Amino acid sequence: MIRAEDISFHIGTFHLRGLSLEMAGGEYFVLLGPPGSGKTIFLECLCGLKKIASGRIHIAERDVTELEPRTRGIGYVPQDYALFPHLSVEQNIAFGLRVHGYTEMNVTETADMLGIRHLLRRPIEGLSGGEKQRVALARALVLKPKVLLLDEPVCALDEVTRQDVCTQLLGIQRQLGLTTVHVSHNLEEAFSVADRAAILHQGVLQQVGSLDALLRKPKSEFVARFMRCENIFDARVKQQNPSGLNTVVEVSTLELQIPGRHNGKVQFMIRPEDVQVRCGLTPDGRSENTFSAALERWRDCGGYVRVELAGPVNLLAHMTHGAFAGLKARQQRSVVVQMSIEHIHVLSVQGQAAMRKERTA
Amino acid sequence: MKSATNTPVRGWRDRVFSAAAFLFVTVFIAFVLVLIVTDVLYVDRKAVLTVLTSKFILHALWMSIWTSLLTTLIALLFAVPMGYALSRFHLPGHILADAIVDLPIVFPPLVAGLTLLVFFSATSLGRWIQEDLGLEFVFQPKGIVLCPFVAAASFAIRSAKTAFDDVDRRYENVALTLGCTQWGSFHRVSLPLARNGIIAGGILTWARAFGLFGPLMIFVGSFRGRTEVLSTTIFLEQSVGNLEVALAIALLLILIALIAVTGIRLVGGSALVRL
Repeated sequence: MIRAEDISFHIGTFHLRGLSLEMAGGEYFVLLGPPGSGKTIFLECLCGLKKIASGRIHIAERDVTELEPRTRGIGYVPQDYALFPHLSVEQNIAFGLRVHGYTEMNVTETADMLGIRHLLRRPIEGLSGGEKQRVALARALVLKPKVLLLDEPVCALDEVTRQDVCTQLLGIQRQLGLTTVHVSHNLEEAFSVADRAAILHQGVLQQVGSLDALLRKPKSEFVARFMRCENIFDARVKQQNPSGLNTVVEVSTLELQIPGRHNGKVQFMIRPEDVQVRCGLTPDGRSENTFSAALERWRDCGGYVRVELAGPVNLLAHMTHGAFAGLKARQQRSVVVQMSIEHIHVLSVQGQAAMRKERTA
Repeated sequence: MKSATNTPVRGWRDRVFSAAAFLFVTVFIAFVLVLIVTDVLYVDRKAVLTVLTSKFILHALWMSIWTSLLTTLIALLFAVPMGYALSRFHLPGHILADAIVDLPIVFPPLVAGLTLLVFFSATSLGRWIQEDLGLEFVFQPKGIVLCPFVAAASFAIRSAKTAFDDVDRRYENVALTLGCTQWGSFHRVSLPLARNGIIAGGILTWARAFGLFGPLMIFVGSFRGRTEVLSTTIFLEQSVGNLEVALAIALLLILIALIAVTGIRLVGGSALVRL
């Protein structure tokens, strides 16, 4: 278990502000954020490599805030691995054991677990990225740490190796039951391994939760955009739906229904994969949030087709290959688009009072 | 079939550029060799025999070797902790400290001798060290170690600092998480990784100490059989008109320096990487 309470740290103009996070025992937690958001600094604070200005850090029910890195019981894999170039693979893995003066060496056992026994006699120079990553992991695991802290552990690897290593990381984490914090800016990586994730931006924690919650229910425009949602709209409330459950809003010239009761200005989103596109010239009028649009551009992204639509609002849809083939796509072909209410998520609301204040200002 | 090489395919412009760069190397080395050959041609058999049989000159040779090695050793003892401290700890005034370390590299070596002479003979602290502590340096063999130390230690310190600067701090950070104290991460990680740079600084220090002349003449003089070293012997011999003997000693000095510097490169080069 790791608990960070109200962590503050500053260096130059960068500030980590009142960051609180808790990772449960045996949880694989991914800390996401763009470069420069403070992920690595936070990890180094957990390691004790950076002294925090305020707050407390607990690792495995022990307050380690004032403890040196060597006594925190952590396994740390830094970015680019920082393998000692003057030592062999075996000496790198055994480094921590030698420092502690352990005579019983479980280097081979750890190397076997990671499938790098054949590399033990090799120098660090000449190892591939994936091999280096495994050696760094073995070096961190050989001391049987209570928690594992990984700083962008697979960012330097190619796509295929990255996926392999992520699978292996998760397997080892599950096998050892280690609480793991994995720092990354890559969403695919997070989806490969994370039980839960958090998003950090400019030293401020934006949201914590399951990846599904971050994906479908982001709390801010930043989180939505970081989770690669481009369909974000600013709208003005027109009226409450008679049912009282939805609100009718105006986006450009389009009237749409969004879930909940709101007034003033709202910002809402819909994920590209939730936008429904079908053949047809005009909407049938029976379904809500349906309108005509034209196919602007499309691109095969491997697992799906990215379709850009131009209409009363510009929209992005991710379609399966099968569904896209059904459109018989050609440039400017008219299609019918539906944004189902249940897939619309309201990001923020600016009430009437706030709008009046803004106008006065 | 042409053999493959690990170099890019080059056009004629690249070849001209390489040839021009190599030309500078050739001109410089040829110039130095011409100077040495001139000395060799000037020296006769009698002068060589004099150098090899004179007990004063052999004593000066021995003094040159051990004092320069001792100076280098002491300089390295200072250079390693100083280089690490200047590289890692940014305490108030570290820029000034850094600049002061470089001063002896900038000022003429003669100043070192003059300053030491004034300190030990004209200040109460200097006289206390010499008279009350019994550590006599002025015109004494101990001065042959102290004077080159002042003039040359900066080379070792500067090299050590640069070498520690080049060691990525992440190595030390990882070592700290693996159970090391700061001392542990220093001697297990930083020191081995900085070793080549530290040794390079040692070579520079030794070279400076071995050939130092001006400040030694001022601070310790050149008393036959006592404070005489090879560099001052050359001066003494040429000042009494023994130009051939002076040149023979100079050739001996050059030979020892060449053997030492090349030897360290040949032996140390591969060994340093492997250790």
